[in-house]
Amino acid sequence: MATDVLTVRQVSKTFLPNIIALESASLNVRAGEVHCLLGANGAGKSTLLKIIAGAFRPTDGTLLLDGEPVELHSPAQAARLGISMIYQELDLVPQLTVEQNLFLGHAPGRFGLINHGERREKAAAALKRVGAHFKPDARVETLSVANQQLTAIARSLTMDAKIIIMDEPSASLNETELESVFKVIRELVRQGVAILYVSHRLGELREIGDRVTVLRGGRTIETFDVKSTGDGALVEAIIGKQRSLIERKTREPVTGDVALRVNRLRGPEGLDISGLDVRWGEVVGLTGLNGSGRTSFLKSLFGANRFDGDIKLEGKPFHPRHPAHAIRSGIGLVPENRKTEGLILHAPIYKNATLPSMRESWLTRHSRQKQKTAPVLKSLSTKYGRPEQAVVQLSGGNQQKVVLAKWIINGARVLLLDEPSRGLDIGAKADLYNLVDRLAREGAAVIVASSELDELYAACDTIWVFHEGRNIGKYDPSVADRDTILRATILGENHVQH
Amino acid sequence: MSNTETAVPPADTPAFGKRLVDLAIEYNFIVIFLAVVVIATSLSSNFLTFTNIANLFQQAAVVGVVAIGMTFVILTGNIDLSVGSVVALCGMLVAVLMSHGFDPFVAVAITALVGTACGAGMGAISALAQVPSFIVTLAGLVSFRGITYLMTDGVPVSGLPQGFASISSTMIPLLPGFSLSSMGLIFIVLCIVAGLVLRFTVFGEYVFATGGNPEAARLSGLPTRFMITAVFAVSGFMAALGGILLTSRLRIGQPTAAQGLELDAIAAVVLGGTSLFGGRGGVLGTFFAVMLLQVLRNIFNLLGLGSFYQMTVTGIIIVAAILLNRFIDHRKGRG
Repeated sequence: MATDVLTVRQVSKTFLPNIIALESASLNVRAGEVHCLLGANGAGKSTLLKIIAGAFRPTDGTLLLDGEPVELHSPAQAARLGISMIYQELDLVPQLTVEQNLFLGHAPGRFGLINHGERREKAAAALKRVGAHFKPDARVETLSVANQQLTAIARSLTMDAKIIIMDEPSASLNETELESVFKVIRELVRQGVAILYVSHRLGELREIGDRVTVLRGGRTIETFDVKSTGDGALVEAIIGKQRSLIERKTREPVTGDVALRVNRLRGPEGLDISGLDVRWGEVVGLTGLNGSGRTSFLKSLFGANRFDGDIKLEGKPFHPRHPAHAIRSGIGLVPENRKTEGLILHAPIYKNATLPSMRESWLTRHSRQKQKTAPVLKSLSTKYGRPEQAVVQLSGGNQQKVVLAKWIINGARVLLLDEPSRGLDIGAKADLYNLVDRLAREGAAVIVASSELDELYAACDTIWVFHEGRNIGKYDPSVADRDTILRATILGENHVQH
Repeated sequence: MSNTETAVPPADTPAFGKRLVDLAIEYNFIVIFLAVVVIATSLSSNFLTFTNIANLFQQAAVVGVVAIGMTFVILTGNIDLSVGSVVALCGMLVAVLMSHGFDPFVAVAITALVGTACGAGMGAISALAQVPSFIVTLAGLVSFRGITYLMTDGVPVSGLPQGFASISSTMIPLLPGFSLSSMGLIFIVLCIVAGLVLRFTVFGEYVFATGGNPEAARLSGLPTRFMITAVFAVSGFMAALGGILLTSRLRIGQPTAAQGLELDAIAAVVLGGTSLFGGRGGVLGTFFAVMLLQVLRNIFNLLGLGSFYQMTVTGIIIVAAILLNRFIDHRKGRG
């Protein structure tokens, strides 16, 4: 029986004031195994990883390394103890050579002088262990993503890692590249290294994993043996039986004409959407895992991405090449990140709200801008002091309303909302979806992308599942089973209804 | 609806005293300027005289005009290092044109166009090819100076028409006993115009938005590339004016003129509270900062201290002012 390298014993993490990210999570990773970590968005995976890697300190509970309790104060200390984390965005310095990267921060030598010969030797040895075919003096930026991944793994080896944590390594790799990374993982495991592998793709897990621990709502649900467990049991553990916190709106059947019809849209990162349309008065939800193409789809419709395709807006061909073009056609986008894309944070509320509609004249009329802003913000029940206030002073929910107000003031009739509820508390979320409901009743065509299926379930007339850049299934939430949709989201299986 | 929403700071109507303090912090450059003026007045009885004040404006005008253009550029989060060379280029060009028999009006018009084109060209390269403006305008700094030397093989051009000098040095009476040279007045008028453009036109609003958050501006449908081209065109135009005024005042086209002027202009803009990251600031601050730097030079001259002292102290004051602004930003929680 293999020994446990790492034991996580009833670890909890609470963020002030009262957000419980992790509650009594436990798992054990054995030497020479690939231990997978599965869970939906927000299940607590990254919090747990960060605690193991020493980036967060747990509120409660203990970590045992080789059976000994340890207290981790920093990632550097964790690395010294043999815990190595490979982030999804590989933390390599692209301009430096492979060799320099491998020994960044722990180069062999003394008195600040680097022993180049020794470093070259050790680098070659580490690269050989990961089966790399590139030279230690190659610059990292010239390598393929897969080879960069190998470099990151080799870097863990130079630190004598006993356990290597890999956070969704497959996100940026194609299949053959992934296969070469898997080969290395298998070889390392054979040598006794433990791997903690995070992914939400079940297929990968089947291929590489020995055991899998499922997290849900901050708790570790169960640890399964991969070979003897079916997909059904795993999906069940991921989804759970918990019900939506937001009440489903009673929505009238949509009778409006088709507002926007996407016959075909091919865009960046393998985006390939076909046969998706939205009617006036309809709320269409897009769900899918991270990287499923929701954001680039919405950005393409808004003219912020280059794409090929055949789109009709009110029956007329529509191909926006610039956001200004889409805006003139009556489209508005509430972007994924309101702080970096949606708002000019230190600018006043009324200027943010009237930014897209200012082009009407040469001169700014500040009092008119304020007049236009006030009733719209009021109708969105935005809480704010004065219109001259900087938007940064508002709470997240009210900031999001200012972004929405931009498009309402500009008379947009097609609204694209990308993760509109991100970072909002439950009350503000409900508030936001009430608005979405109202805007649709008033005749707007709305597309909402969200990774929180519950929200879409409550608010949408139609839900599309996106998977790896394609729209694979269309569901009517009034009849479709929530778990069926979740299953399609995770497994990428096609169950088109109607 | 939501009642878990985080509380919004209430609409505040603070007491008069607190508002005064807030104003003093917001417009700290004016407070500093006034303090320096008080010091200068106490150090020399010659300081606060009409003649000296007129001199201050006359001497500040060239840097001042260029700094106005630089304010537009920096507000979009860019920088224009080429202005010193464009001033020299345009100063020479206007002289060469006139020495070839062009009417001064025509020469000035052509020069202004060339300066604008220089700026617009660099701005367009930076915006369309996504090259940092620092690099593009650094190339401009070198090349435009080279062209300036090439025009006459580095020889100054003199013998300019008498009427041309009047562009800069006509004395215009404003108050009984106080008259300002035309170039000083041009500086003041341009400051006001620029201030109005920034405050009351959509163009001005777009300048702030482009600098405040380029991505949000783009996703709001603003023509951000055009805006960047346009602010560099403004900067080029202002540099051309600066060159024309300089040549008019010196009565000679001097190819070595305005070396390092870009740094004086940038220093003034930043000293005036405009953020190098863009989106925040304005031309009022630039005006006071230009005058502050001029008053400092003036004090040193009146005290008979050489330029070595001036340079040292000017640098220290710029650093102090930047630290003060950082502190204020931090205090306001927008660090």
